[in-house]
Amino acid sequence: MKATVLRAGVVVGLIAGAIAAAVVISRARFGSREGAISGVSAPTIRIAEHRQPRIDALNKSIPRIEKQLGVVIEVVEYPAPEKDYLSKLLTELGAGNAPDLFTANFDADVPDMVSAGYLAPITAEVKAWDGYEKLFDVAKKLSTGADGQIYALDSMLLVEQIYFRRDLLDKAGISTAQPANWKDLLDRAREIKAKTGKYGLLLPAGIGWGAGGFTEGFALFVAGSKTPQIANDDGTLNLNGEGVRDIFGLYKSLIDEDLMPIKPLLGPEPWVIPKYTMFPAGDLMATTCGTWCYIYDWGKDSKNPVPDVTKNVGTWAVPGTDGGSSVKISGSNIWAVNANSAHLNLTKKVLLALCSVDSTVAYAQLLGNIPARRDAADNKDFQAMTELVPVLKNVDNGTYLKSAPGFSVVSEGVARATEALLRKQTDAAGAQAILVKYVKDLLGDNAVK
Amino acid sequence: MAMTYETRMAWQNRMLLVPALVLLGCFILIPAAAAIYISFTNAALNGFAASHPQFVGLKNYVRLFSDEGFWNSLIVTFYFVFGSSIVGQFVLGLASAIALSRPIAFKPVFNAAILLPNAVPEVVAGFIWISMLGGGKYSTLSRIVGLFGIAPQNWLESVPLLMIIVVNTWRGIAFAMILMTSGLSAVPAEVYEAARMDGATPRQIFWRITLPLLRPTIFLYMLVSTAGTIAIFGLIYTLTRGGPGGATEIIGIYIYNQSFTAYQLGYGSAVAVIVLGVSVAIGAIYARVLKVQV
Repeated sequence: MKATVLRAGVVVGLIAGAIAAAVVISRARFGSREGAISGVSAPTIRIAEHRQPRIDALNKSIPRIEKQLGVVIEVVEYPAPEKDYLSKLLTELGAGNAPDLFTANFDADVPDMVSAGYLAPITAEVKAWDGYEKLFDVAKKLSTGADGQIYALDSMLLVEQIYFRRDLLDKAGISTAQPANWKDLLDRAREIKAKTGKYGLLLPAGIGWGAGGFTEGFALFVAGSKTPQIANDDGTLNLNGEGVRDIFGLYKSLIDEDLMPIKPLLGPEPWVIPKYTMFPAGDLMATTCGTWCYIYDWGKDSKNPVPDVTKNVGTWAVPGTDGGSSVKISGSNIWAVNANSAHLNLTKKVLLALCSVDSTVAYAQLLGNIPARRDAADNKDFQAMTELVPVLKNVDNGTYLKSAPGFSVVSEGVARATEALLRKQTDAAGAQAILVKYVKDLLGDNAVK
Repeated sequence: MAMTYETRMAWQNRMLLVPALVLLGCFILIPAAAAIYISFTNAALNGFAASHPQFVGLKNYVRLFSDEGFWNSLIVTFYFVFGSSIVGQFVLGLASAIALSRPIAFKPVFNAAILLPNAVPEVVAGFIWISMLGGGKYSTLSRIVGLFGIAPQNWLESVPLLMIIVVNTWRGIAFAMILMTSGLSAVPAEVYEAARMDGATPRQIFWRITLPLLRPTIFLYMLVSTAGTIAIFGLIYTLTRGGPGGATEIIGIYIYNQSFTAYQLGYGSAVAVIVLGVSVAIGAIYARVLKVQV
């Protein structure tokens, strides 16, 4: 009996000792960090970030911001795929335990996050910030909601257009001149197929591509269509327009004439095979993409680079349906403050610090996107990124798509409609009907015009 | 008034059930009731409905019945459950249990080989099979069949449903085998002995004695395995995420996609409630067909 009691005592003692040691060690680690920063207990700001290059870019800025603001910053790593990141973030925002500071994936996500009450307004702080006047006008417009308030700040910009294999088209005797309109673009894709047997143009599509199917594909063609904006001033969504049907018609032609690869788009991570394998191998000759493609997809940081990428891969602005052309600008690294943050004011200061030239250039170096500030052009590190410098100079010439509440539903609706096109289950009008029905089902009949 | 011994014991037994009932209530009954309630709302993870969910009556259910994706996922789920759980796992599990109930060489090795897949975490198993089946000519399976002159292919694109059935069968044989082994060990040896003395052939023994006496075990297996297979998520999410084009979108994946990819919690809950009903119905059908008292 005594032995049993003794054994139990030893076990309990060991467990208690282990718990005490763990507490002491964790306190010592945490305490030493706090002490190093301020000597007293500094508040901790939790920042959600995902994908290793982004986390690395954020980590580059943290020591400076901690020193500048006297805070401890804890980076909470989220799942890498954009969709998984947003799902986890929204779930935590809904549950009330999300980090203080985070990014929205796309401008289209922001209005719905505002409607949900997840984001704290930052209008006064942003407008009083010395960096505000340095922002490109398009960044200011993208960051400002329909009510004139700012809830999320676009610190980086995605500049998207059509990228094509200049080297291979030249070799095949196919024109590399800017296509004049959609018909010209489609004819170019047909010519590529006829002369080389390769795919002529990829537009992101389908459910697997997630929101990218809308923002990196469909949305690029909206500005040049007969429905140049989807968000109406009265808060409704213009989805019944001729332009929307025409865009689905463009997808339909590419799919039915076998001008774009379909099978990979129906699988998981549909961008991997077309963008990382087929395009570098020359099996796909043109695709919509952004500046990051020159660095990540096929450039110096790619596992499958195209040699001398800026020379061998050219860009076309996205032609309009009947002429004209546009380069789509949208936000990236769209920082927002959790409305339930325990340190609202301090978190807003951290947000602004993350929109500094140093931080945005750090992100540009690791992601290949464009800082949303004009004065980034003066930064020596940015000047070294020769692929991005000319793009920054032309940001003001880009077009953008106004976002509105309900855009996350539109984005999902476009994914479903283009999935039906990929599976050859419908035509352009049918795809438009799928989109409209989905949006009406979720937002009500009055949401769509 | 002092309680009798029986009353005291009855109370004691009830008290012993309390922890289980509390856990059941907190983690099963209350969430299930919440899901039923949410299914009558337009609750969402994002947008206005996230902060102001509205009661929408049967709208989600009406929408569901005209949703091709839902019907597709039900059909895919049926094939998946039938192929992997009812045919694959059950047949191979029963065969393994019968084989390993006999004195054979290297019995522990066979036992371990069948049990190991169940010890591998679902997601890890998914990644192992991606290397086996994905990657076209570089996949292990393509290399193996290449030896016989068969063209390499991306198996998760060309025959995705068959592949997930094979993977789930591989993973679940052990569970079926364990249950069938326990069922077989409960069959008295004298019954077999008497049958043999009466001149019964091995086939007659199997169909007339083994299978009928295994009926309660088979019922238990079918019930647990069907419900478990309907609820599978991680393995398929890792392998195909429901693609290509919905070919492997079993109902669990469909619910996830509606709730956490399209952010429609109300609609996703409506699908989940239907699945709950289907699972209960399947259980009732099994009980009736196999004539087992539960």
